Amino acid sequence: MPEILIKNASVCDPVQGINCETMDICIRDGKIVDSVSGNAKVIDAEGKLTMAGGFDGHTHSAGKINVGRFINPNDARKNPVPGLSGQVARTEKTRAQVGYNTPNTYAIGYRYAKLGYTTICEAAIPLLAARHTHEEFKEIPILDKMGLSLFGSNWQVMEYIRDKEPEKLAAYIAWGLKASRGYGVKIVNPGGGEAWGWGKNVSGLYDPVPNFDVTPAEILMGLAEANERLQLPHSVHVHCNNLGKPGNYATTIETMKLFEKVKPSRDRQALHVTHVQFNAYAGTSWRDFETGAPMVADYVNGADHLTFDLGQVIFGPAVTMTADGPVEYANARMLHEKWSNQDIELEDASGVVPLFYSPKSFVNAVQWAIGLELALLVKDPWKVMFTTDSPNGGSFVNYPEAFTYLMSAKRRAEVISGFSKMALDRMVLPGIDRELDFYELAVMTRSTQSKIYSMPEKGNLKAGSDADIAIYDILPGQVDPSTEYAKVKKAFSSAAYTLKSGEVVVKDGEIEETPKGKTYWVNAKVPESVDTAMQKDIDRKFRKYYTVSKSNYMVEDMYIPKPVEISTEGVF
Amino acid sequence: MPVIKDAVCSLCGSLCDDITVTVEDNKITKIENACILGHSKFVGMFEHDRIETPMIRKDGELVPVSYEEAIEAAAKILVNSRRTLSYGWCSTSCEAISGAIQLAEETGSVIDSTANVCHGPSALAAQEKGSPSASLGEIKNRADVIVFWGCNPVHAHPRHMSRYSSFSKGFFTEKGRKGRTMVVIDVRKTDTAKIADKYVEIEQGSDLLLVTALRSIVNGHEDVVPETVAGVPRAEVLELAETLKNAKFVCIFFGMGVTQSRSKYKNGDAVSSLISDLNQHTKAVMIGMRGHYNVTGFGQVATWETGFPMAIDFARGYPYYNPGETGANDLLVREEPDAAIIAAADPGAHFPQKAVRHLARIPVIQIDPYANPTTEIADVVIPSAVVGIEAEGTAYRMDAISLRMKKLIDTKFKTDVEIVKDLTAKVRELKRGA
Amino acid sequence: MQVVKLSLKKANKIPIEADNINPDNFAGKTAEEIKEILIWYGNGQCPLGDFFTVEVEGKDSVENTKLVFEGDVSRVKRIGQNMTAGEIEINGNVDMHCGFGMKGGKIVINGDADSWLGCEMSGGEIILNGNASYYVGAGYRGESCGMRGGKITVNGNTKDYLGEHMCGGEIFVKGDAGLLPAISNNGGKIIIEGKATMPASEMKNGTVIIKGEVFDMLPSYKEEGTEELEGVTYRKFTGDVNAGGKGVLLIK
Repeated sequence: MPEILIKNASVCDPVQGINCETMDICIRDGKIVDSVSGNAKVIDAEGKLTMAGGFDGHTHSAGKINVGRFINPNDARKNPVPGLSGQVARTEKTRAQVGYNTPNTYAIGYRYAKLGYTTICEAAIPLLAARHTHEEFKEIPILDKMGLSLFGSNWQVMEYIRDKEPEKLAAYIAWGLKASRGYGVKIVNPGGGEAWGWGKNVSGLYDPVPNFDVTPAEILMGLAEANERLQLPHSVHVHCNNLGKPGNYATTIETMKLFEKVKPSRDRQALHVTHVQFNAYAGTSWRDFETGAPMVADYVNGADHLTFDLGQVIFGPAVTMTADGPVEYANARMLHEKWSNQDIELEDASGVVPLFYSPKSFVNAVQWAIGLELALLVKDPWKVMFTTDSPNGGSFVNYPEAFTYLMSAKRRAEVISGFSKMALDRMVLPGIDRELDFYELAVMTRSTQSKIYSMPEKGNLKAGSDADIAIYDILPGQVDPSTEYAKVKKAFSSAAYTLKSGEVVVKDGEIEETPKGKTYWVNAKVPESVDTAMQKDIDRKFRKYYTVSKSNYMVEDMYIPKPVEISTEGVF
Repeated sequence: MPVIKDAVCSLCGSLCDDITVTVEDNKITKIENACILGHSKFVGMFEHDRIETPMIRKDGELVPVSYEEAIEAAAKILVNSRRTLSYGWCSTSCEAISGAIQLAEETGSVIDSTANVCHGPSALAAQEKGSPSASLGEIKNRADVIVFWGCNPVHAHPRHMSRYSSFSKGFFTEKGRKGRTMVVIDVRKTDTAKIADKYVEIEQGSDLLLVTALRSIVNGHEDVVPETVAGVPRAEVLELAETLKNAKFVCIFFGMGVTQSRSKYKNGDAVSSLISDLNQHTKAVMIGMRGHYNVTGFGQVATWETGFPMAIDFARGYPYYNPGETGANDLLVREEPDAAIIAAADPGAHFPQKAVRHLARIPVIQIDPYANPTTEIADVVIPSAVVGIEAEGTAYRMDAISLRMKKLIDTKFKTDVEIVKDLTAKVRELKRGA
Repeated sequence: MQVVKLSLKKANKIPIEADNINPDNFAGKTAEEIKEILIWYGNGQCPLGDFFTVEVEGKDSVENTKLVFEGDVSRVKRIGQNMTAGEIEINGNVDMHCGFGMKGGKIVINGDADSWLGCEMSGGEIILNGNASYYVGAGYRGESCGMRGGKITVNGNTKDYLGEHMCGGEIFVKGDAGLLPAISNNGGKIIIEGKATMPASEMKNGTVIIKGEVFDMLPSYKEEGTEELEGVTYRKFTGDVNAGGKGVLLIK
């Protein structure tokens, strides 16, 4: 592969502690290197802000999103973010694109790349339906991908925990990751997915799962133990119980506290809590609903064992999609919206419901504020991953809009000025002056992911890292993001350059090339004896309860055309 | 003598994957576990006449030609067309469907699946109300009340009841059939109705009335339900509602009786609403009894690639969707297409007369292993490998779970994937030359 | 006053998409300029002049511009799409989506109209002196709001799904409506002089008046006495009980 020399880049790379320093970046064979020859193609960054490619650590972009597309054909023509949404005819270089919250696969690849993002992590892969996720991955151009496999309401998992079989549990997790080609362990409303199989839910960490005699707390601890025993690159990734319920901040803190005793087996967090905005509610009902962010932030500030992501709300239409089946049914009934549900035998639940976040609704206004409060009240940006839980809080194409909220108190004040008194009384955001700078923004959108997912070659511009680079048309020394937030939004909406594995894929906001990205998955090794014992148990499950044969369950090689297999060694 | 286990049957939407296939001298000589329909596919294929070679119609007669000639002739038709209808694509793999969609996009064609005459209305229903569903194993392991509405699995999905529904035994359903109540709602007493615990006979075209009545009762408004609904006495309707409400887990399986009778998609739409209402009292889901083994797959692939599950019009370069305007029959009845490509389907046999007459007037490209009535009106015919037997690929079961179909025997025929790929390449070449 | 006369040179089967053909785009233009406007014909675009003869008299603003179609345009879709003012007169049958998204102005059709007449209309007036097809005054697939303002008069019959998802505006049908008129409505007013089958399913809000015979009333409406309107006494029903039921259905 050719060599590239990026000159005069104003580099912001928190992993290396570089804060808007002008420097050159050398690329060869898709990697960043120390130097290149005189034959290198030169890109003059002209002092523009340069970061590693963005890394969306939690997005619903392959699998369940297809239900969202299916039930919302009206999303196809929505175009609230011109250039990043709506129906776009095919071109010589690009396939046809549709959609806003639930774009087609090609649009997802192109639009993330235009934002300067180069890696995405699908938030939830159901094991039985994993092949579908990978089929969609194949049709998402440019981006590197990975996914988190669902284990939190899985029969075999719950039985092993109930029967105190931690070694077989770890073997099952390893097998499940291989079967689904997943990267990490996802837990959604632990135990609730099984309760939802009967139309019920679990009410908290110590509410036992009907018929399985385990509590959500035990599920969390059991899976955490297995996760660390297998030395997986990511910690368990948890969507807490009681999502969306006023008062749930207490469950969230309780969950976080539970993990204080978990010792990570790698240099990373013991727990990642996802879309905390939806789990940081105080009050006892929608009538006295108010922000719970200060309490959560307070705990997080004093803790050093966890990371979390925001789940920031964007006003306008959104589509909720989650394995939290009961939440979706409740949403649909309360909001009189369409309701899709797909429970997966022996494994988990899911639901999809479109909705609308309005600044005139005091609840939505407070939800919007909570995400920002979390980001700004938590002192250490390395604990914070930026997400909108796309498209639950809103589509990822709104990230640049959301960045302006984080970086500009003035912009926030503008939005807040449209809120009712009732909304203002329920939030603390108006009193927060803090504004993130480009460095902190980089931490939340690429650098911290490098550590959170144990991917040293991503999220930074060190020699040896992947040459995934975003150059934005903004001169950091000459722009004040606090007042010139419109410029910031424009720049981040349309990268001057996006490079993927050393290839220019976006130039001046237009797609140049559409290479295929890689898919990262984890192959955790377990001792044969443990594996064999575990296989006997799951053989029985397939024989008696599943409706597919075990031999047809595993995702086959041909669904992963560019695999990157990460091996780990379990400790038994 | 290879014996292949856990092969996937590629006939109906049940997509059974426990088939054992014995292959001798590149022929399937023995099949275990398949039903009569599956059997007819696996073993029957060796008894049917295949289309042996590519053909082009010259002076009214189909004449054998080389594959390259056929591809060129087909590509020319597509390149010269202003409005091609690409139809079928359901008895083939997801990979072939993906190629077909790309071809349609590049030629500005309309592409539609056999859902047009089948479960298309289910998509429309889901677009109104959503799709409250579950994987089939949830039914096997939990359901104690099973309703078959407007469908006849005894004949159309023979192993459905033993593998997934009425007769299946699961974790919470060890008693199997004995622990279940099976209800059939239909306009006549089908063979499935004959083995039901409760058979509710309704008047033709009155499904929406019965669903609405059930909703009213479930929602506490039984006072608005008249003495007779859909030809069913009020007492029986109340009893049916009670059965559903008092279930631990009810699944409504629905078929053409619901999707193709009067008020079509509104029936499925209303059933969706009924399911949502029932979930206030019990656990309830619905699943469509998809006919072809990969019509669900077409819906899935089309949705992730274009945003829409069927009836996709690429004329303006981006996907546009509007059943009633962009469906295969909509176009044919209005005599819009000036060319057609028909694959893995038989509109010649299944479409209305007016539509078939128009097909006969325009250049038609057919891709299929077997001759059928559509062959009579085709102008270019390209034989293909039988997917699921001679060609591997992905298919989606009626509950949207995917499986990989195996290649069981070798074949001289090109696969749909290859044919579409070659056709697309030729179209590009001709366009560049123009 | 600007009057633009258009006439199809030759009947087409492959549909022409005429979303560029409305007073907004034609006001102030000459015949030559109008002939150059691109329209979609199947999978490609062609100048309008390839298909239509164009005669222009006068030059005026949008409100004072009138388009007149002489002859059959039953394969010309989207005439008058998104128009905000002015007038269109069609002396022949017209294809789907006539007046789609109309915001103002007036369309008069002296012929039959295909489906989706006045879909997503928010203002203006459509008068159809002929029969309509499916989905008059309805919405786009998956949307919860269709027609939201304006008025459609059908001096003939309509087919099924009249006014689906209507949330504002008025539809008047002189003849019969087909199956499921006023379905999923959340506002607006529909008057049907003729017959209808299974009216007002899942109506949340709105008023539906049916003067002809009603077949297969849905078992989700509560009879609540009578209401008198213009000297005629109607049976009054409220519902749909399964949708929160604030709609009013008056039948004879």
